[in-house]
Amino acid sequence: MTLTADVKTSDTQAPPLDDTDGLGAPALRPTRLTVGHVVLGAGFLLAAAIVSILVGPAGLPAGPVLVEVLSRLPLVHLHSGLSATGVVVVWQLRMPRMVLGGLVGAMLAIAGASYQGAFSNPLADPYLLGVASGAGLGATLVVVGAPVIGQIPSDLLPVAAFLGAVLAVAATFALGRSRASERSAASLLLAGVAVAAFFTAVQTFLLQRSSPGQLSTVYSWILGGLSTAGWSQVELVLPYVGTAMVVLLACRRLLDVMSVGDEEATSVGVRAERVRLVVIVAATLGTAAAVSVSGLIGFVGIIVPHTIRLLAGPSYRRILPLSVLFGAGFLILADLLARTVLSPAEIPLGVVTAFLGAPFFLVVLRQARRLG
Amino acid sequence: MKRSWARYFLVRVVVAATVTTLLSAATSAAPVPAAQVAIAGNAAAGPVFPVSVHSGDGTVTIPARPVRILCLSPSSTQMVYALGAGPQVVGVDEYSSWPANAPRTKFSGAETSAEDYLPLRPDLVVLAYPSGTIVQQLRKLEIPVLVLPAATTFADVDSQLDELAAATGHLAAVGAVEASMKQDISAAIHKAGNAGRGESYYIEIDPTFYTATSKTFIGAEFSLFGMRDVADPAGRLSAYPQISAEFILKTNPDYVFLADTVCCQQTAASFAHRPGFSVLAAVRLHHVIGVNDSVASEWGPHTIEAFVALLAGTLRS
Repeated sequence: MTLTADVKTSDTQAPPLDDTDGLGAPALRPTRLTVGHVVLGAGFLLAAAIVSILVGPAGLPAGPVLVEVLSRLPLVHLHSGLSATGVVVVWQLRMPRMVLGGLVGAMLAIAGASYQGAFSNPLADPYLLGVASGAGLGATLVVVGAPVIGQIPSDLLPVAAFLGAVLAVAATFALGRSRASERSAASLLLAGVAVAAFFTAVQTFLLQRSSPGQLSTVYSWILGGLSTAGWSQVELVLPYVGTAMVVLLACRRLLDVMSVGDEEATSVGVRAERVRLVVIVAATLGTAAAVSVSGLIGFVGIIVPHTIRLLAGPSYRRILPLSVLFGAGFLILADLLARTVLSPAEIPLGVVTAFLGAPFFLVVLRQARRLG
Repeated sequence: MKRSWARYFLVRVVVAATVTTLLSAATSAAPVPAAQVAIAGNAAAGPVFPVSVHSGDGTVTIPARPVRILCLSPSSTQMVYALGAGPQVVGVDEYSSWPANAPRTKFSGAETSAEDYLPLRPDLVVLAYPSGTIVQQLRKLEIPVLVLPAATTFADVDSQLDELAAATGHLAAVGAVEASMKQDISAAIHKAGNAGRGESYYIEIDPTFYTATSKTFIGAEFSLFGMRDVADPAGRLSAYPQISAEFILKTNPDYVFLADTVCCQQTAASFAHRPGFSVLAAVRLHHVIGVNDSVASEWGPHTIEAFVALLAGTLRS
């Protein structure tokens, strides 16, 4: 663990400067991603994934479940001895739920980290520019409008949530750039606050007019959860989340450069505004796709990147890839708790992430301060 | 149990002794001659107003026979009409669907300002889920307000009927209403025979697997037929828990009732298409039954009788 050296600079979010490149002058030299970090992150994710496949209210024996999973690997010929229902539980319920949890967690964490980099604001999270309120309004419109419109396909809710989220962020951009020459990070943030407030107001109005049944449907969506996860939802979000992650990971060096400020970044040939736009578009599309199937899961986009920042340093070359691994593992574990703590009852996933995440984050924060 | 026996007893005191006698006779589901009820009612009704009724939040005094009643919950609307107080009703909430000719308003029953109700000049307001300080506001306006929250047992239903009968001046009718409801229930149980005994069920309130345990009113209706709620182990903290799809597969209920056909357009087909659910016994045996969402949220006589009859028909087929 390379705690001491990196934590000292974490307050400024600037990568460490040194002059060890032999040229005599200080140069930007972000810390590289080490093999150790990747192994740690991948190990954490793998462990979370395995435990989440093994544990559940159906009480399947662990050994046969493991054999069942291995039996699907190429060149492996094993017979698990699980009942037909057991096989369905593993492949149709636990597996897609774990994969979807991993995708959503990874997306929220990397989007949070990217927003923090793009806005040089440690409090930025994936919902900053109106994604949450837009998705919420989209979902509400479908639920409240259902009896009015009549029969509507049941998979319309994620589509509406996705469109609402994209629309909200587009509105934020349109408003934030009205003074084109001064489209700074700050004016975008303020536009985001205004758009979120407006969309939330419309949503609240609709909810207040809705029936108790509709209210509880929307409410349970807002609380977030993966209780209905299936492979179809994985297929739905994978293209967006996959593309977004590739784009964001490709921007990791540019975010490091931007962390010293827009002017300085421009002086070394980085067009800060353009990078910010690309990062925001990618992070928004990915987040919108993620929340459209999972509902509004809070806190992952804040605590995962910050925990990594505290432990592995301020470089986005480390934070972004590690956010993917730890974000995925964190949400898989949180969902495991959501479905097992009160088993067979479920707890909303958003409650678990905040309930676990907040104290854990405070511990990491204190620890880092003491070491620093 | 929402209502204590003490309160239940007090209501019974308000109701005349003859009616009580009739009631206990009625529990054995013996047919009650209409004439007898009328005579008993005449004897009991007498000069009842002003009347004191013990409801959800204390004693309510109703100075005179109400003639402008505002019924703001579907269950109380059903009760008021069943008691024969329909002609005294000036408005019902937007969710009251029975009887069809009730004067529906745009009120949801969750209004927070009593002023909203004033144009209808109500002399009795019946609420199930009062919002904010609406009860206090109505009291300041000297409009009697009766709060009849969600029933969880059949005793709750009887005591709400008693309260409404006293409050609306229809004490004479309450015995017959309760007896007829019990008769319908007995007939349904008789029709089902032993078909439901020991059979397990899952009642779905919303497609993310929110359900109701046997400690709810709809659970009590299933219990009448000896059916077993698969969600009971999840009911430690809430009578309406969210359970996991995996748990439904594990418990493999004999019957599935979808009370999210209106809110969320669920059908037996959409249920069968959910991940992994095609292996469920209820799906293979076509024991997935869509019902109106209201069965899980209403406890009025009409909803009860319709649902119990549907259950009996389902179990027998």
